[in-house]
Amino acid sequence: MKFMLLVLQNVRRNKLRTTLTCLGTMVLVVVVTLVWSVLTNLQAQLDQDKSKMKAIVTERWRIPSQMPYAYARGLSEGAARKEGDIRPEDSMSWSFYGGSTDPEKRTRESMLFAIAMEPRKMTTMLDELDDLPDSQAQELKRVADAMEKNVQAIIVGKDRLAALKRRVGDRFKLTSINYKGIDLEFEILGVFPPGRYDQSAIMNIEYLNRSLEKYERETGRKHVQADRSMNLFWLVVPDTAAFNKISGQIMESPDYKAPAVRVETLAAGVATFMEPLKDILWGMRWLLAPAVLATLSLVIANAISISVRERYTEFAVLKVLGYKPWQILTIVLCEALIIGTLSGLLSAALTWLVVNHVVGGLPVQLGFFGKFYVPAAAFWWGTAVGAGTALVGSLLPAWTACRVRVAQVFARVA
Amino acid sequence: MSSDICVRVNNVHKSFQRGDEILHVLIGLTLEVPEREFLGLMGPSGSGKTTLLNLIAGLDTPDEGEVWVRDQCISQMNESRLAEWRTRNLGFIFQFYHLLPVLTAYQNVELPLLLLPLSGRQRRQQVLAALDIVHLSDRIHHKPGQLSGGQQQRVGIARAIVTDPALIVADEPTGDLDAHSAEEILDLLGELRNSMQKTIVMVTHDPRAAARADRILHLEKGRLVDEAPEAARLAGRG
Repeated sequence: MKFMLLVLQNVRRNKLRTTLTCLGTMVLVVVVTLVWSVLTNLQAQLDQDKSKMKAIVTERWRIPSQMPYAYARGLSEGAARKEGDIRPEDSMSWSFYGGSTDPEKRTRESMLFAIAMEPRKMTTMLDELDDLPDSQAQELKRVADAMEKNVQAIIVGKDRLAALKRRVGDRFKLTSINYKGIDLEFEILGVFPPGRYDQSAIMNIEYLNRSLEKYERETGRKHVQADRSMNLFWLVVPDTAAFNKISGQIMESPDYKAPAVRVETLAAGVATFMEPLKDILWGMRWLLAPAVLATLSLVIANAISISVRERYTEFAVLKVLGYKPWQILTIVLCEALIIGTLSGLLSAALTWLVVNHVVGGLPVQLGFFGKFYVPAAAFWWGTAVGAGTALVGSLLPAWTACRVRVAQVFARVA
Repeated sequence: MSSDICVRVNNVHKSFQRGDEILHVLIGLTLEVPEREFLGLMGPSGSGKTTLLNLIAGLDTPDEGEVWVRDQCISQMNESRLAEWRTRNLGFIFQFYHLLPVLTAYQNVELPLLLLPLSGRQRRQQVLAALDIVHLSDRIHHKPGQLSGGQQQRVGIARAIVTDPALIVADEPTGDLDAHSAEEILDLLGELRNSMQKTIVMVTHDPRAAARADRILHLEKGRLVDEAPEAARLAGRG
């Protein structure tokens, strides 16, 4: 601690260089933080809670998956038919209905894609909506109850609502793009709590089903999507054993053969979805992140090296005064550590603040993942990255400083 | 070693390699410096006086021979022990002061004390006492850039005496100063010897500085050539 004043004074000695080194460190820690945040979010999707697994049922042979909605009733029972069969703890169907508020022109602003589902399942099945603070949970339940009664009701995320230039209470009509001829009119009943669902919307599946029946009544023929309106089906099972059992029940059932389905864990489903991206993710994890770390070390090594070269005489003086090599090594390492640690912490904190609370999440458009957020762990890993790379980068300059030969230095000075 | 001898250099050889050539800087040099003596070392450039000073200060080790300071053979010590020895037993005064520019006069003088097991209060007392001796009590918060050359050298002297070492070595302490400042520094060195009973070994080119010494040794080509206190004193007066 007695040397801390000297360390701090040295850090402050060349303010421009220290500032530039800090900025360089901060920029690179931002990159590392963002890369690791994306990877952490993806990993979290793959590492499901094993005590509450989600199984995902999709059409076996076709992408995108399109199954008859008639499958939903049996699947919600886990295809249990005989004694000894087990049932899932919860379930929900997923159908997607998309359209434009402007029948003439489809723009990004006028488009809306809604998940058609049973509204009451919002509060039990959808990630993050099943774990809201009390006040938000009560408001969401109120909207869900209202949507059960009013099939034309819809709940929309705040960003999508703003893009559509609509507000709660407004009514609007969508000209469908995936259910041709079935244009639906909605009444906005509520807004999702800020976060993952800011660009999403949820409608009552009953409204879509009734509209498909109405279409058949009016035209005398089934809509082309009528038997293909369910895209996914989710089941909640207590554990892996239950998943295996229910999966077997569904696969062995004759009710799900035309079209055939497959059952996988949500993590496996995510992994399948991620398959085309695996090279990019591998590159992010094993090339980009290490390259950034190496660059960070070099930036700090360069700054500390210059600083050490400028101070050979001072290190020699310290040796004359009785400072031991390890004490000089410690002084230089501490200088780098202060720069790296503070820059790393500040950078991680700013990234966390800006991404999570100013921007409202990283808008990574990856399937149904929604926005990615910077985990709170970034505070320690950003700090650790800054400190670690500073330590690595300053080792050689610090070693050079502590090996200064006094007689040679003063011979040069004289 | 006799108790009234502070420094004994015994048959010391030192050489350096420069390219293919080996330079014999000190050749079988032997000398003794009694306690409380003010010794001046003179000689032309390359005669080996700074090398001799470095050996006495434990900043370099001889190829052959021994260097004793009081009862310790410093030429046998490793780097770590030498560092500890210097902290407690040696004060070094540089030609170009070599104060740390980011620290105040007070903090520069305090630097060697940070290595000793002293409380903050004890350190403060010793630093203020050292700065008082060099008449810089009113400049303790000034950084080197805010001090004149003479004042900087006085801070350098305060730093050299703050641990109360028995031996002070000075490498051309007046070499970078004007005549007036040089006189002040030489007065201070004399005071250290007279009042504080320090042993001083000073390398100098300046005959007036050498004239302040009790004894002057001349080096040429790595050997002591004569001992001429009177001549130097006369030169100083002239």
